Formats: sequence, structure tokens, C-alpha cells
Amino acid sequence: MTNGKPVSIIMIEDDEGHARLIEKNIRRAGVSNEIIPFANGTDALSYLFGADGSGAVSAGRQLLILLDLNLPDMGGVDILEKVKANVHTKRSPVVVLTTTDDSREIQRCYDLGANVYITKPVDYDGFANAIRQLGLFFSVIQVPETP
Amino acid sequence: MPISQAFFQRSNALLLAVGIAVLIVIVATSLLLTAANERYFGEVTAARAVRSATADLLSLVQDAETGQRGFLLTRDESYLAPYDAASSRLADQRLRLERAAATLPEITPILQRVNSELDRKMSELAATVEATRKGDTEAALNLVRNGTGKRLMDELRSDLSAILTISEKELREAIEAQVTASARLRWTTIIGAILILAMAGAASWTIIRYTRELVAARREVERLNAGLEERVRERTDALVKANEEVQRFAYIVTHDLRAPLVNIMGFTSELEAMFKPIEAYVGAGATATLDQKAAAEEALRIDVAEAIGFIRSSTRKMDGLINAILKISREGRRELRAESVDLTGLIEAAAAAVHHQASAEEGGGIEIDAQVPRITSDRLSLDQVMGNLLDNAIKYRAPDRPIRIAVRTRRERRGWIKIEIEDNGRGIAATDHERIFELFRRSGSQNTAGEGIGLAHVRTMVRNLGGDIAVRSDLGKGTTFTVTLPPDLTAYRRSAEA
Repeated sequence: MTNGKPVSIIMIEDDEGHARLIEKNIRRAGVSNEIIPFANGTDALSYLFGADGSGAVSAGRQLLILLDLNLPDMGGVDILEKVKANVHTKRSPVVVLTTTDDSREIQRCYDLGANVYITKPVDYDGFANAIRQLGLFFSVIQVPETP
Repeated sequence: MPISQAFFQRSNALLLAVGIAVLIVIVATSLLLTAANERYFGEVTAARAVRSATADLLSLVQDAETGQRGFLLTRDESYLAPYDAASSRLADQRLRLERAAATLPEITPILQRVNSELDRKMSELAATVEATRKGDTEAALNLVRNGTGKRLMDELRSDLSAILTISEKELREAIEAQVTASARLRWTTIIGAILILAMAGAASWTIIRYTRELVAARREVERLNAGLEERVRERTDALVKANEEVQRFAYIVTHDLRAPLVNIMGFTSELEAMFKPIEAYVGAGATATLDQKAAAEEALRIDVAEAIGFIRSSTRKMDGLINAILKISREGRRELRAESVDLTGLIEAAAAAVHHQASAEEGGGIEIDAQVPRITSDRLSLDQVMGNLLDNAIKYRAPDRPIRIAVRTRRERRGWIKIEIEDNGRGIAATDHERIFELFRRSGSQNTAGEGIGLAHVRTMVRNLGGDIAVRSDLGKGTTFTVTLPPDLTAYRRSAEA
């Protein structure tokens, strides 16, 4: 992520353990960007769209969203839908990282505009490997500035 | 009582057998009675023969006497014609009487007497006729005058009349016996006819009833056939729904169990990695550098503690999940006990349990408007459903206003019962109206403790009771849960099994 402005990684993940493991492995891939974790959808939405829900607070931010689909308070799909529907956040890449490998769910996420869909492997070697590769991917992609 | 095929066949066979037996008895009795009738008829004929032979004999003897008298008076041979005729026929006539009398043994002694009297009378008559022919009229008249002839004639008359009396008695008795036998024959026929008619009636009744039942059964089959499509569709819908629920449940369970598993495996691997600097430090022994020491200390104090903390919390979480799944699965298996439940009382008791929380602030409280006093259902399930819903209403209150809860019970179409629990709490977003009923899912901000089990549990219980639960909510304004239940769990279960 070589733009002038630093890219923030928004990690929406309810499981603190997962969040910690993801962070460790992203760091191992050499990604040093700021990671902002959220344990539930409500807090994440209020960060992304602000108290008024307009999304104006995200204007000018450079965001990459890591999204778990199974959140305690709302469906991750709802968040994806909102992010891709909002004029300020729709260009931010969204990486869906979840335990679900249901093909309909995967299709639905891509239909809604998800950029990457990754299923969390259960065995840790696979998991760590997937996250590290994701980290390498993060280090080369261009993230647009939100309008 | 419906007639089974076996009963029908048995009863018909029995009726047929009894009918044949009655018929045989009637025929046998008729044959016996007819034979008796013939016998009596023979006796009547015999008695009549005796009577007529006796009368004829008397008449012959009288003819002979008349002829003799005429001849004695006129001495004209022509007057002797009746005497001659009688004499010539007498032997035949006596034979006829003897033959006829063979059937009546009691007249045999009288008959012997009559025979000797006849012989004597005829010889007396012959003697007078002979004397007259010789011209000795006086001697003939003397023979008449000495009264032997008259006496013999009187004896003959009396004996013959005795025979007549006996034969008439016999005749009367035979006729009476004949009449009795005829009467018996008639009664036998009448009773037999009645019995056969009764059995034919019984058989007809059985056949008609059996046929009616067959017709009714066929109609029922036709009716069921017509409704079959509809039922198959209903059952299929229910199965599809149940299947979807099972799939969703399996999905949720696998996801939720997998998440802590990833943590356990992940932090176990991390632990291995963390031990590397420690091993290096320990392996170096006295030659260890300060950097090695610092790295080992950091790994031990911070990373290892963190990893162990996550492993521990993940196993706890898994345990909690497994317990929750077990609880719901047990609830699904629990035998429901249908009983008449005081619904209003049950709601009042559930409200009383949370009353102190609801009315802690000024203006808060629970209002009950019950219009359905009783329901036949499982008390324990109803208790838990009401308790859970009221707990939720209090737990997810709006922080800026006192809690107001309204519970209403109403009777719906087909007697179904609707229970509404309305609150003025924080509400549920429209996108989460289905999600809240799923296992381990919660809605809105997670500022209260909870596992996401309550409503899933409530829905399982309500569906087990044959009902359903729905939610209506405006985010920020309040929520209304509507539980609809069948009025009688037993009737519902019967129709579900049918």
C-alpha cells in the first residue's frame, strides 16, 4: 500500500482470538499499516458511517475492510451491502474472511460487491498461510481514496 | 358397533346352519305327524267299517225275521224272498264283520256271542219256516210264541248295539287324535315359518348393515383420497421448513464450534513458536545475551499468557455452545404433557417474577389484558416461553424511558389463541427479524450479557406446542412478539399424526 496516505485496515471480527491471530499473521507478512479492530457490526458501522449514518466521516479515508460474516449483532452481509451502497465507502476493497464455505453465501457476497472471499481454514497452518498471503496481497494492491 | 368381515361371515354361516336345522326339524315333524294322521285315518276307516258291517248284519237278521213273519202269516212262498236273500248273504256279512273287527280286539268276545246267537236265531227261523212248509202252522206259531226267537233277537240287538257303541267310541277317539295331529302339524309349520323368517330377517339385517358400512367406508376412502393431495402438500411444506431449519441449525453449529477451534489450534501453534526464544535462552545457559533474555522474558510473560488465555476462553466457549445445543436438543425431545392450564394465572405469575424490575422506575410496569382464561397445553413450555419473552422485554429496554410492557391474550379463528407481548424497548432492526430466532445470534448493540439462545429456544418450544412465533418491531420504539397456539395440544398432535 504505497499511496501517500496510509491505508487503514478495518477488521470487523467478533472473535478476539481470531482477530489477534489475523493481526499476528498480517504483521508477519510485513504489513505495518494501522489495523482498527471492531468486535461487532454496530460499532464498525458507526465508525464507517458516523453517528448520522451518512458515511461522510469516511470521506478522504483510505480503507480496506476485512469482514467476518457471522457477527453477534447483525449479519456481515448487511454490513457489506451498506458499505457497497454508500457513496463514500463503495470503492473501498472488502475482503470477506469467514468460516462459511456455503457456495450460495459466496455468490451472494460477490453479487453484493465483495472484492475477495476467503474461507478461514480450520487447521492453523492453512489459516496462517492464508492470512500471510493476504498480507502480501495487501502490500501490493492499490486502495483508492474514498470520495 | 361396526361389523367386521369375520363377524359377518361367521354370523351368516351360523344363521344359515340354524335355518337348515329348523327346516330339517319341521320336515321331520311333518313326516311324523303325517304318518300319525294316516294311522288315525286307517283307524277311522276301520271303525266305520265295523259300524256299517254291524248295522248291515242287524238289518239282514231283521230282513230274515220279516220274511219269516210274512211267510208264517200268509204261507205264501213269495213273502219268503227277504228271508232267503238274507240267509244267503248272512255268511258274507258275518265274514265282513269279523274282518273289520280284527282291528278292535275288545269286541272279539262280543262277536263270539253274536255268532252263536246268530246261529241259534237262524236255526230257530229255519225251524219255523220248515214247520210252516210242512203245513204244521200250529207248531211254527208255538215256536214263535215260546219267545226264544224274540229273546235271541233282543240279545242280538243289545250285543250289536254294544259293538256299535265301541266302534263309535273308537271312531270318536281316532277323529280326535287326527284333529290333534293336524293342529300340531299346523303349529309346527307356523312356528317353523316364524323361526325361518326371523333368521332370514337377521341375515338380511346383517347383510344390509355390512353393505352400508362398506358403502360408508368406500365414501371415506374417496374423501380421504380427495384430501390426500392437500395433506401431502401440507406435510411436504412442513418437512421442507423443518429441513431448512435443520440445515440452518447445522450451519450455525458448525460455524460457531469451528470458530473457537481455530483459536485453539492457532494459539497452540503460536505457543510452539513462542517457546523458541525461551529454548534459545535456556540452551545458551551462562552465555546467554541480554537480548536473548529479554526475548525469552517477553515470550513467557506476555505472549504465553495471552495464548493460554485465548485457548482457555475458547474451550470455555465451546463448552458453553455444546451445553446450549444439548439444552435445545433435550427440549425438543422432552415429552410434552397436555393439561388444562390457567393461562391468565400463568401470565400473571410470570409477570410477578419480573415485576420489581419493570416497576423500578416511575411510570414503568406490566399491564395484562387477558381474554382467554384457559388453554390445554404443556405448562412447563408455556412458563418458559412467557418467562423468556418477559425477560427479553426488560433486558433490551430503551435506556432513556421507563419500561412499559403489555401482555394480551385473544381468541383467533378456529379457536386458536394469540398471546401478544408488547414493549417500548429499543426495538429490532427489520433485517434482524428472522435472525433473532436463530441459535447464537443476537441483534443490536451487545451491551447486555447473553448467549443468543433464548429466542431460538422459545421458537423451538412454541413450534413443539403446534404454534408459531412472530415479531413486529420498530427500531428505537418497541417490539411486539406474537405467539399463536392451538387451543388443545392433544387435538393438534392427533391431527399431526393422522
